[in-house]
Amino acid sequence: MISVKNLKKSFGTNEVLKDISLEVSPQEVVVVIGPSGSGKSTFIRCLNMLETINGGHVIVDGKDVTDKKTNINEVRTEVGMVFQHFNLFPHKTILENITLAPIHVRGLKKAEAEKKAKVLLEKVGLSEKASAYPDSLSGGQKQRVAIARALAMEPKVMLFDEPTSALDPEMVGEVLEVMKQLAKDGMTMIVVTHEMGFAREVGDRVIFMDNGYIVEENEPKALFDAPQHERTKAFLSKVL
Amino acid sequence: MDFRFDIIADYMPFFLKGMGITIGVSLAGVIVGLLLGLVIALGKMSSNRWIQLPFNIYINIFRGTPLLVQLLIIHFGIVPLFMSPSNPIVSLVIGLSLNAAAYIAEIFRAGIQSIDKGQMEAARSLGMTRAQAMKLVILPQAVKRVIPPLGNEFIVLLKESSLGSVLAAPELMYWGRAAAGQYIRVWEPYITVALIYLVLTLSLTYLMNYVERRMSTDDQR
Repeated sequence: MISVKNLKKSFGTNEVLKDISLEVSPQEVVVVIGPSGSGKSTFIRCLNMLETINGGHVIVDGKDVTDKKTNINEVRTEVGMVFQHFNLFPHKTILENITLAPIHVRGLKKAEAEKKAKVLLEKVGLSEKASAYPDSLSGGQKQRVAIARALAMEPKVMLFDEPTSALDPEMVGEVLEVMKQLAKDGMTMIVVTHEMGFAREVGDRVIFMDNGYIVEENEPKALFDAPQHERTKAFLSKVL
Repeated sequence: MDFRFDIIADYMPFFLKGMGITIGVSLAGVIVGLLLGLVIALGKMSSNRWIQLPFNIYINIFRGTPLLVQLLIIHFGIVPLFMSPSNPIVSLVIGLSLNAAAYIAEIFRAGIQSIDKGQMEAARSLGMTRAQAMKLVILPQAVKRVIPPLGNEFIVLLKESSLGSVLAAPELMYWGRAAAGQYIRVWEPYITVALIYLVLTLSLTYLMNYVERRMSTDDQR
């Protein structure tokens, strides 16, 4: 589904990603963990070209997004993204937030898009908020709307960039619950997170990144219970 | 000191006609300035340096030279190439529009760039093109933020239209000067003209405050 080959990314002289390679199969849930500044957010943002990359290839659903001839907008319709700070559109209602892209990008009729949006709102448990504005929602609710908004494009992959990091602790659970359900439904997911419990429970594979490299990757149980590398051990001892 | 109300009464029809033209050219200047300003703002924000360049030059020239000089060059140099004899009202509208566009472009740019960049990222991540994201997500939010500085610019524009009197465009200030010249009086014509300008700008201030208030309550629905 996603294939990353020798990905390199620098900001000026600061090399953030140094030779990252990764294969993600359909329906797989890959969780990326690592200390702050390890490059994990940059990595996930490279997958839908929110960051321009400096070397290597990213192939999404058979299309090389690093190739100039690839229509990046088309690829992005297949790749949903959820941000740390939600980035809901504050001038639109919840329903409009969800239907905006399906109507203008997919060319859906308004009624059809709204019908689908309501199903998605139901799924994330926010049906009664359809006509509210984002400002009136709690952080957890906003993030659930953001997930519904991404799902409205019917993507083949979902990217989560620290979806619970900006939330009050008591709201983390509701967002993780939605993500869990999504994984159960067979969505291919790449999740950057600090939620080790989620990584262990939902992840098919956990990637530990540090200093621009993938240091270690394994099944959650193996990685958490028997880390092979010193840096992984050091990191896990601090967060677990 | 005697204050000759008869002069004011005598010239009132001309002052009112002049006021109409002042309002007309200002309105035309604002509308053309808004459209042109948006194009210039978007051009200046292009990621391509070579596309930015002409827009930068435009803004620097029109903000960096006096409007009076621009008006004289436009009226006596440029407009005569296209129409003869050149019409001072046309020249005034062109000058005001081009000048206002430079300021409005900077107002728009500041407004657009004040929108959190996560908004653009979210829109793009949903597959929108840059143009779609601008139109559907960024500009509607930016509009609210540019209302106060735009109101300011409209007031400046309205007052600067008085420079049209130098081109003999028959706007409000022109008739003020005409009355002053005919009667060799200072207070009566200029105070009257000043009061009319004040009524216009205060009305505009009130109008902009109203728009601003309505826009901000829109938010809280």
